[in-house]
Amino acid sequence: MSGRGQVQFRDIVKMHGDFAALKDVSFEIKPGEFFALLGPSGSGKSTTLRILAGLDAPTSGRVFIDGKDVTSTDARDRDIAMVFQSYALYPHMTVAENISFPLEMANMPKAEISAAVKDAARKVRIDHLLDRKPGQLSGGQQQRCALARAIVRKARLFLLDEPLSNLDAKLRLETRAELKKLQRSLDVTAVYVTHDQEEAMTLADRMAVFMAGEIQQVGTPAEVFARPNSIEIAGFIGNPPMNLVPARYSNGDVIIAGHRFKTIMQASGERDVVAGIRPGALRVAPSGLSARVELVEDLGDTAVLDLDCAGTLIRVRVSDENVPREGDTISITARAQDIHLFDPTTGKRL
Amino acid sequence: MTGKRLRVFALLAISLVFLLAWAFPVLWSVLNSLKTDRDALAYPPKLIFTPTWEAYHDVLFGSASILPNLVSSMVISVGTTVVTMLMAIPAAYALARLRFRGKKFAGFYVLATQMLPPVGIIIPYFLVLRNIGWIDTYQGIILIYLSFSLPFAIWLLVSYFEDIPFEMEEAAYLDGASRLRTLWRIIIPQVRGGIAVTVVFVFLNAWNEFLFAVVLSGNTVRPVTVAMFNFVSVEQTLWAKLAAVSVLAMLPVVVLGVVAQKHIVKGLTVGAVKGGGRR
Ligand SMILES: Nc1ncnc2c1ncn2[C@@H]1O[C@H](COP(=O)(O)OP(=O)(O)O)[C@@H](O)[C@H]1O
Ligand SMILES: [Mg+2]
Repeated sequence: MSGRGQVQFRDIVKMHGDFAALKDVSFEIKPGEFFALLGPSGSGKSTTLRILAGLDAPTSGRVFIDGKDVTSTDARDRDIAMVFQSYALYPHMTVAENISFPLEMANMPKAEISAAVKDAARKVRIDHLLDRKPGQLSGGQQQRCALARAIVRKARLFLLDEPLSNLDAKLRLETRAELKKLQRSLDVTAVYVTHDQEEAMTLADRMAVFMAGEIQQVGTPAEVFARPNSIEIAGFIGNPPMNLVPARYSNGDVIIAGHRFKTIMQASGERDVVAGIRPGALRVAPSGLSARVELVEDLGDTAVLDLDCAGTLIRVRVSDENVPREGDTISITARAQDIHLFDPTTGKRL
Repeated sequence: MTGKRLRVFALLAISLVFLLAWAFPVLWSVLNSLKTDRDALAYPPKLIFTPTWEAYHDVLFGSASILPNLVSSMVISVGTTVVTMLMAIPAAYALARLRFRGKKFAGFYVLATQMLPPVGIIIPYFLVLRNIGWIDTYQGIILIYLSFSLPFAIWLLVSYFEDIPFEMEEAAYLDGASRLRTLWRIIIPQVRGGIAVTVVFVFLNAWNEFLFAVVLSGNTVRPVTVAMFNFVSVEQTLWAKLAAVSVLAMLPVVVLGVVAQKHIVKGLTVGAVKGGGRR
């Protein structure tokens, strides 16, 4: 783990007129971490990244990098490299000139620059394109050029704003894997903005989940997946998303569509809840909640079933060979630890 | 298919008509400039004659040489262009980046200066220059030309600057560039075409200007557009010499046009393709 690139956001608020793009955001990033800012579009991820980069100033709150308050430090003095969603390559310069620009600005000697440029280009496999202009590159190559420009200078923080969103699906998967390896090999702290939960889940060491200008949960992907803090996060993370159905809690059990499921809760009494069960956590069983198969989506190795349980839609992922057919009536069960309960009014986990 | 060809043909025909209409006076001047004054006066006009450089020799090296006037024109035009660009580039950049309430109005102001009838403001301009003692000086003429060329140049340049995404500048800041270096290394190179177009327009406007020059200049400063009239007098008009001066005055225009042609065409079409860059 490198010792540089520790970040701390303390009570950051960003107002645009009356509109709060960020409402009291606090989090910490550890040196060497791959940290994702995940959330739906408009939730304040880019705003957070731009405040970290120094491109925007927070309305209130402080930003610390490596323990130093940088809230009023100029962007160019923060030693931060960034890959923009649009790549923001300099169209009048060749790939080599683009990559060398940050080194030139740092007054690095010419001879060292050309070696560093070649090295960075090789790392992202565009060393054969150094003489081209950005306009002569494919989307994927442009993206790599932007990456090379960011990694060529050994900045202490490496920011990426939806860097894969302009690539086609196949290229996105390939680049995603490479990006992770690159970050590991460079041993830098990376802050990665995405609205794609799968990207965040696969790339991040830890992530902060944004909803409407607030961080609702911070944790490793596994933690957030296993214990989502709120209905919103539960519905946002995982594909297909978690089933969230109105239900009634009763002395340790939860009643969903007339069927009683065991939970790990022990509180006595009764109340209305929202019950969440991941499609993959539901099993087809000889007995349980009875359901009619409305639709079968065959994904090859698995299938997703849309079930009608007394008027409630529930989705189940099955990997068995004997996938039920549309129109069949089946029974489903779930283990107590796979049932999440949320407060229907606050949306918070119970 | 045939419809398309017909359209191309029609376009070519129309272009030819325009070309002839514009080329005729130019060709006429060139022909006359190669005649003697006597041939130039002949009626019906002579198309067959012995060409001579006499007129050129006289207007360049004779007693009423226009060489100083060509120099005068050059100083005024280059001076106006340089000062205009030095001020217009940062101004246009700022206008393109800033959001302020008067932005729409600023656009209107620019157009208004282009629409004002020059005769309407020539007397106030004259009085202003006389009061500060700048009549018949280079700085006086250039100052007056600036009042037209500057708004025009800014207006033309703004659309080019607006085409550059702000993110590109932010990328440069994060790469460690200062604002000035970003402007110089990242922004200016991308608006080169627009700058070339603007330089050409500003230079030509200054070079061709007559009305203000005739009123506000005098003996020290006397651009070629004004000096030309030495060859027109009550008794006679020296047509061949007048034509020779015209051709000489047109030369820089033609040269500039040829040199900058690529940029002008590109600059204009880039604006057009990007959906009316000339907001
Ligand atoms: N300059 C601005 N003026 C007004 N609202 C803005 C501005 N910039 C961002 N916003 C708003 O702030 C919210 C958060 O934006 P952003 O951080 O870009 O979201 P995202 O999570 O999609 O990156 C959005 O609702 C956006 O409309
Ligand atoms: Mg964004």
